[in-house]
Amino acid sequence: MRKIVLFSIILPFMLGCEEVIDVDVPEGETRLIVNGVLRVDETQEFVPVEIKVTESSIFFEDNPIARIQSAVIFYGTPNPDAPEILEDMGVSNLTELDPGSGIWVPDPTFDNEQRIGVRFIEEGDVFFLFLEYNNKRYAASTTYVKSVPIDTIEQGNGTLFGDDETEIVVTFTDPPDTQDYYILDFGFNEFLAIEDEFVDGQAFEFSYFYNQEFEKGTELTIKILGADQNFFNYMDLIIEQTQNTGGVFQTPVATVRGNVFDVTGLDNNEIFDSVERPNNFALGYFAVVGEFQKKLVIE
Amino acid sequence: MKGYLKLILITLLFNSSFTWGQQKFTLSGSISENSSNETLIGVTVAFPELKTGITTNEYGFYSITLPEGDYSILIRYLGFKDVLKNISLHQNTSLDFKLEEEAEELDEVIVTENVERLEIRKPQMSVNTISAQTIKQIPVILGEADVIKSLLLLPGVSNAGEASSGFNVRGGAVDQNLILLDEATIFNSSHLFGFFSVFNPDAIKDIKLYKGGIPAKYGGRVSSVLEIFQKDGNSKEIKVNGGIGAVASRLLIEGPIVEDKTSFLIAGRGSYAHLFLPLFDVDNKAYFYDLNTKISHKIDKNNSLFLSGYFGRDLFSITDRFVNTYGNAVGNLRWNHLFSDKLFSNLSLIYSDYYYGLILDFVGFEWDSGIKNFNLKYDFKNYLNDKLQLNYGLNNIYYVFNPGEIRPNKASSGIVADKLTKKYANETAVYIDVEHEVSQKLSLNYGLRVSHFNRLGQDEFYTYENDNPVFFDPFTLVYREAKPIDTINPGRKGSLKRYTNLEPRLSMAYSFDDNTSIKASVTRLSQYLHLLSNTSSPTPLDVWTPSGPYVKPQLLTQYAFGYFKNIINGDFGLETEVFYKDIDNRIDYIDGANLIANDAIEQVILNGEARAYGLELMLRKNEGDLTGWLSYTLSKSEQRTTGRTSTVDNGRSNLESGINFGNWYNTPYDKTHDLSLYGSYQLNEKWRFNSNFIFQTGQPTNYPVGQFEFEGIVVPFYGLRNQERLPAYHRMDISASLTPKKNKNRKLQAEWVFSIYNLYNRMNAASINFRQNEDTGRNEAVKTSIFGIVPSVTYNFKF
Repeated sequence: MRKIVLFSIILPFMLGCEEVIDVDVPEGETRLIVNGVLRVDETQEFVPVEIKVTESSIFFEDNPIARIQSAVIFYGTPNPDAPEILEDMGVSNLTELDPGSGIWVPDPTFDNEQRIGVRFIEEGDVFFLFLEYNNKRYAASTTYVKSVPIDTIEQGNGTLFGDDETEIVVTFTDPPDTQDYYILDFGFNEFLAIEDEFVDGQAFEFSYFYNQEFEKGTELTIKILGADQNFFNYMDLIIEQTQNTGGVFQTPVATVRGNVFDVTGLDNNEIFDSVERPNNFALGYFAVVGEFQKKLVIE
Repeated sequence: MKGYLKLILITLLFNSSFTWGQQKFTLSGSISENSSNETLIGVTVAFPELKTGITTNEYGFYSITLPEGDYSILIRYLGFKDVLKNISLHQNTSLDFKLEEEAEELDEVIVTENVERLEIRKPQMSVNTISAQTIKQIPVILGEADVIKSLLLLPGVSNAGEASSGFNVRGGAVDQNLILLDEATIFNSSHLFGFFSVFNPDAIKDIKLYKGGIPAKYGGRVSSVLEIFQKDGNSKEIKVNGGIGAVASRLLIEGPIVEDKTSFLIAGRGSYAHLFLPLFDVDNKAYFYDLNTKISHKIDKNNSLFLSGYFGRDLFSITDRFVNTYGNAVGNLRWNHLFSDKLFSNLSLIYSDYYYGLILDFVGFEWDSGIKNFNLKYDFKNYLNDKLQLNYGLNNIYYVFNPGEIRPNKASSGIVADKLTKKYANETAVYIDVEHEVSQKLSLNYGLRVSHFNRLGQDEFYTYENDNPVFFDPFTLVYREAKPIDTINPGRKGSLKRYTNLEPRLSMAYSFDDNTSIKASVTRLSQYLHLLSNTSSPTPLDVWTPSGPYVKPQLLTQYAFGYFKNIINGDFGLETEVFYKDIDNRIDYIDGANLIANDAIEQVILNGEARAYGLELMLRKNEGDLTGWLSYTLSKSEQRTTGRTSTVDNGRSNLESGINFGNWYNTPYDKTHDLSLYGSYQLNEKWRFNSNFIFQTGQPTNYPVGQFEFEGIVVPFYGLRNQERLPAYHRMDISASLTPKKNKNRKLQAEWVFSIYNLYNRMNAASINFRQNEDTGRNEAVKTSIFGIVPSVTYNFKF
């Protein structure tokens, strides 16, 4: 919702003129990047486990593939009385799909099934990801959140800022009385983070404007992902910092901290915080979320 | 506080015993302009034999008590003819003066013998005055004379560049400026996101900016006070003036309703709709307008009434799918009353509001937010004798905050109507301030303001575990909104939190001779209202919020020291000041804070601190065909928010990392160097040329220390805050005004102003953004600049 309101202040800066310039950017230390958003389609048999690992680079260069030594996912259902205890634990050992690809998937060479069956998981289940990278141990934990189907997508004919836009009108229905968060994936690396604060329990209809026109017959796929508050905040911040169209109304930038941390040496007894080691984090996020999608053919 | 009162009492006693036995009488009256009866502020009334004098107050009144005798009296005011008169003071005497404009003889050539000239003996320091005349001469973008753009040429005043709202004083934030238009608070000083300020220069009489040494009369903001007085209106004859410019036109009509008694003033200004039409290929509107009105009525010698109003609105719309309206409205009734020839009083009843509205059709909602306040002010000025004046009074402001209201704008919208809980507060203050001339060389201003802020009850109020609305996750080192444990309903009657603050003020001047003095001041101020703004420049959408149980008031202490000199008989003036200020409880926001439509703003706010220090220098040339000034500021402005120490775990304390890891970081308005040069040259009766040059260190900003790709999005990531800077900002503007000869013998007086903004077309960076190019997929740094060279023509007239 915030993004939408912010359109109002972006507006006058369409006046300004833009120019690509050379800038000497500072070089921070190299960090591990974990791209692990597992999008669960409940009509399928397995969770599509695929974790991509890369290393950060300076702004003007591409991210190289990270060489990690191992990756494994544990999951289970928290005991209602003692949420720190997981029941019905499962494990999925991962292996690199092709050597050097940086893409890690359930290892097919094991005797028993390493893939995660959709029927074994339910909303609220906790997933842990452990990685070994440069002899350090990284860990992330996340909670499985389902999503809701998209009711309708229609093509609109309006524009907002210019003629070369495509409007689509999306409607989905939010379940009542719960605090829900959604990530909409419009393709073309365009996302929108929405919370239900003002649309709780409603069929919510809104317009999204692609900054391009499509040829007739182009098929667009719109996906809606569930999210918990942390994942929502993370995506919201990422979208804000990348779709910021500029101008003096920039919000302060922040290092977008995900949920993957270097846990080497944390004994969870004496030291279980990162206060004295503020730089021990990886970039990226590990999330397990439900996904629904709907297609639209441009007319 | 007791000590203070005692000090004041002793001073009073001392003074009365000192004057015992001498027969003294009071001379008082008002001073106005002869042609219009417009009262004049800051006119010097001097008694050369006694080496004493006084200046008129905001309502043109003066009063002075002197020993019985015959004196000569000299009245001086810039741009007006001196009046020299002999008086015999053998009883209390009332004497009004009407001053003649000096300019009239010179055929519209206005001698800018400046109002801005400095007062060597007065303890008041860190104050700048700009005449309405100077404001109109300074070349500005698109030819629109502008109050705030003029202030930026003064030392210690800067802003974020073109198209940014407000201004920053001595490294302070925009919301720390108290802006008073005829004593009413203005919450947003900008039109069109900062392209213009909301004050119509035609309707303005006088402007004063206090940057430090702020008198006890003022309070509620910690950085500065900008006081703007509207004209009363001509009570002798109907006068019209106006201007036609490239983006806006304005018209002012003033005149008598009852001659010499009642006058009116009405001034309107509007920009042309579709202002930016050529830039969009869609049906859009972008315009602003404002209206100033005033009725002044002189009931009798001792009573005057003023009713003034201001209404301004900005409107943007794109087709009808996006409509944005915002602006200030102010209404104000004042009553000047003389209890005696020594006791002047002013009672003000003020209403002011700021409204922000938005219609977003493509998401299906309407949005309103704003702030309203009702202000009662009673100020007294007691002229005890020629050495001592007392100012005292009280002030009560009642606030209603509307953080936002959302409504569906059509049936198919899924938006649920919702009102964020309105907030209420009351701010009360009493003050006493003494202007004391201890000796020929030493003058003091000392006073005390006691402010009390009561955050009143509201309908719904969240409570948190350990009263802590911001949760810190020691593992991820991220601050997050805490979950409320309960929602209480305190109702409107109760009080959620009260704050009382003592705000002592002291300033002194020691003059070595008529032309040289040093001044020093200590100021303490508290601010109970905060503008929630998380962008590098405030936006009209930013919402004001009161202090309360979780958000503490900002408390400032400022020290300033200065050296002042008039050179060559006052032809030149030199002002140098150093300052240091320290602000407790400056609010800061957690990373990713959502400030808009947030019903629990306390969950994203941490109280930090701020400090600023610097050196200011100003050299003026007051006389001659060429006048102007050079101002330079060297300063630093920083803030930090350290971790709260309340958590102790496993024997380890201070587990929080704070914002920016608890390090000091540059505020967005930290400008190391700020230099302005302004010159005005009167070539002949026809032509006047003006020019200014500005150089400022680039605004602090962030460059990414790296990038990562996540779900296909290329994300730049950043290190500590505000480590880099935009390129330096500089530009030069020129203007020429032509007063045609044919003006001489006719009623219609016309003037053409030709101006060029940003003469050498410097593309100053408003921001540098890092993004992926949509077409090439490559990462790039993009500089946005607002204005290159902009020529314009304005036609001004009056009759």
